[in-house]
Amino acid sequence: MPDPAISLQAVSKRFRRGYHVKTLAEFLFTLPGRLAAKRVDGLRSHEFWALRNVTLDVPAGQTLGIIGPNGAGKSTVLKLLFRILRPDQGQVVVKGRVGGLIELGAGFHPYLSGRENVFINGAILGMKHAEIARKYDSIVEFAGVPEFMDMPVKNYSSGMFARLAFAVAAHAETDVLLVDEVLAVGDTAFQLKCFDWMAQRRKQGGTVVLVSHELNNMRGCDRVLYMRDGNVSALGEPQPVIDNYLADTGQTRDTRANDIGFIAGADGKPRAEVTRVEWLGADGAAIETIEPGAAATARFHYEAREPVADPIFALTLFHDDTRFHLSTKGDYLVHLYSGEAFRGLTLEGAGAVDVELEAMHLPVGSYRAKAYIFEGGRLNPLYVRDGMARIEIARPGWSDGRALIDLRQRWHAPAKANWQP
Amino acid sequence: MSVVTDIREIAGFRELIVALGMREVRVRYKHTLLGIGWAVALPLSLMLVFTFVFSKVARVETHGIPYPVFAYLGLLPWQLHANIINQGARSLVDNRALVTKVYFAREVLPLSAVLSALVDFCVAAVVLAGLMLYYGMAPGIGLLLVPVVVLVQLAFGVGCALALSAANLLYRDVQYILQVGVLLWMFASSVVYPIPRSGGFVWLVYCNPMTPILDAYRGLIVGGKVAFAPEFGVAALVSVLVLVVAWRWFRRMERVFGELA
Repeated sequence: MPDPAISLQAVSKRFRRGYHVKTLAEFLFTLPGRLAAKRVDGLRSHEFWALRNVTLDVPAGQTLGIIGPNGAGKSTVLKLLFRILRPDQGQVVVKGRVGGLIELGAGFHPYLSGRENVFINGAILGMKHAEIARKYDSIVEFAGVPEFMDMPVKNYSSGMFARLAFAVAAHAETDVLLVDEVLAVGDTAFQLKCFDWMAQRRKQGGTVVLVSHELNNMRGCDRVLYMRDGNVSALGEPQPVIDNYLADTGQTRDTRANDIGFIAGADGKPRAEVTRVEWLGADGAAIETIEPGAAATARFHYEAREPVADPIFALTLFHDDTRFHLSTKGDYLVHLYSGEAFRGLTLEGAGAVDVELEAMHLPVGSYRAKAYIFEGGRLNPLYVRDGMARIEIARPGWSDGRALIDLRQRWHAPAKANWQP
Repeated sequence: MSVVTDIREIAGFRELIVALGMREVRVRYKHTLLGIGWAVALPLSLMLVFTFVFSKVARVETHGIPYPVFAYLGLLPWQLHANIINQGARSLVDNRALVTKVYFAREVLPLSAVLSALVDFCVAAVVLAGLMLYYGMAPGIGLLLVPVVVLVQLAFGVGCALALSAANLLYRDVQYILQVGVLLWMFASSVVYPIPRSGGFVWLVYCNPMTPILDAYRGLIVGGKVAFAPEFGVAALVSVLVLVVAWRWFRRMERVFGELA
């Protein structure tokens, strides 16, 4: 194994719980007691372990992803690597120049112009004045805001701000790069630019540590660290670790998967609900995987405890790779909507409705579905539930295509084509 | 880590100190009509107020120096000290976003506050030349020793800024206490009247480096002196001691800045 660029040896970090002293008198009277209080198992009464005995090596040139629930210690690890926090026990060693995108535009001052902020932010990120001057044009080009460089950044849109801040950070030459969720800001084009840039840094041999809740970002990492309650819960190849994490959190691959909302009847239960959605193939058998372009039917199983007149059913499909959502709001890729189809009908008791899809020309990948029932022929939602049914669009033997639209296609050569056999 | 590597680390950030110090100056006078003129206007207007009080209302013995020159020569370095203390104390708290998000030697922040105060000081010093010209006073050869006084004052000021910035991060009370404290300190120093070297207040001279420092400025620039008084030597020693102790404490506290900020 090559020399580790990052090494944590049995690192522990104590934090104080929110601890409030109301008055000066209370502060003075409790001071001796607090100072004298013995640490039990390394902790005083108001302290807790944010990190406990974490050991970790990241070889130079590797990318490590860190996942875990809130408060698991992900950002604490990053801040230790960045020397913003110091360990209480153990040792943290980071070799080379460390750069970070823990927060975009730290040190940007709203009153100063884009140009002035580039120089100050560059200096904060460890660049020399001459170095920034040399890279200035390239930074402006990367940010794509040349006409606004003399305007105070308080007048920038948040997107412009993020682009300029990222452009500066991207030009700081670092051996180790720490990235914390910052890429969640900005539009999709900007995010893609960020990922492109990160991929380039990795190609150039940079070591990257990436903290993210977006599990899709993790699949490109060499290894993934799953943190839980300040401990290393799992560390290894991305997919098994991610599955491990998902199993622990009881999720079906997505944090929004269990969102549910409904109008309750007198008994507190939904007036009507979609109990199940299943996917059926052309032969009517239940399926989980389908080839692009094939026919499929989505069947809603519903139960109406009270009559629902003029119902409308809808189903939205979300691609697991959020980059297909074309917006950072997590918008769906497909929306199926029954419209006028059930006007004049009334739902009562249990039953099912189908939506037949002639050809699933969709990007390959895995989708989750969100089902809706509306009432009265208008968009009065009665019931919404996410994570209803999964379907995988895959073409056996084909690698994971990334095309947004999979057109129905037939290829042939014109009859006169002079092809050599 | 030895002292040498610590100093080398801080020196490596000199461009950042300058960048942040100049940012501070630029932001301070942004959206003002007078701009950097405020660096002059503040000590100047204070000088006029005290000239009214101490030459019209109650007379003060200034050993033949015209009172406006006497007062300005006190107020100019005092404003430097007051700015270093006030801005230095707030430097870590005001830059929380940096302290919790980016690593650099933490001394950079108080040092850039000192630098921005120094810029104001240099601008305001121009008025002193005009004032002396108006009263037909020429500086003596002692002027050449003034840089030594500035260095001693800066050593003391940097020490104060380091200690107060860390203390303010612990308890924000510090910056409020300072609002009264600086005023009190000013009247305990020879800013707008001389502190006698004899009588009941002589201890003030020896435990407060500011009086010997301010008197040294006056003696060298308009008093015709070419040497330092013994109490200035004491002040210089105290200043260096304050700097060393404050810096060591700052380094020790620095480990928890990321949590406190």
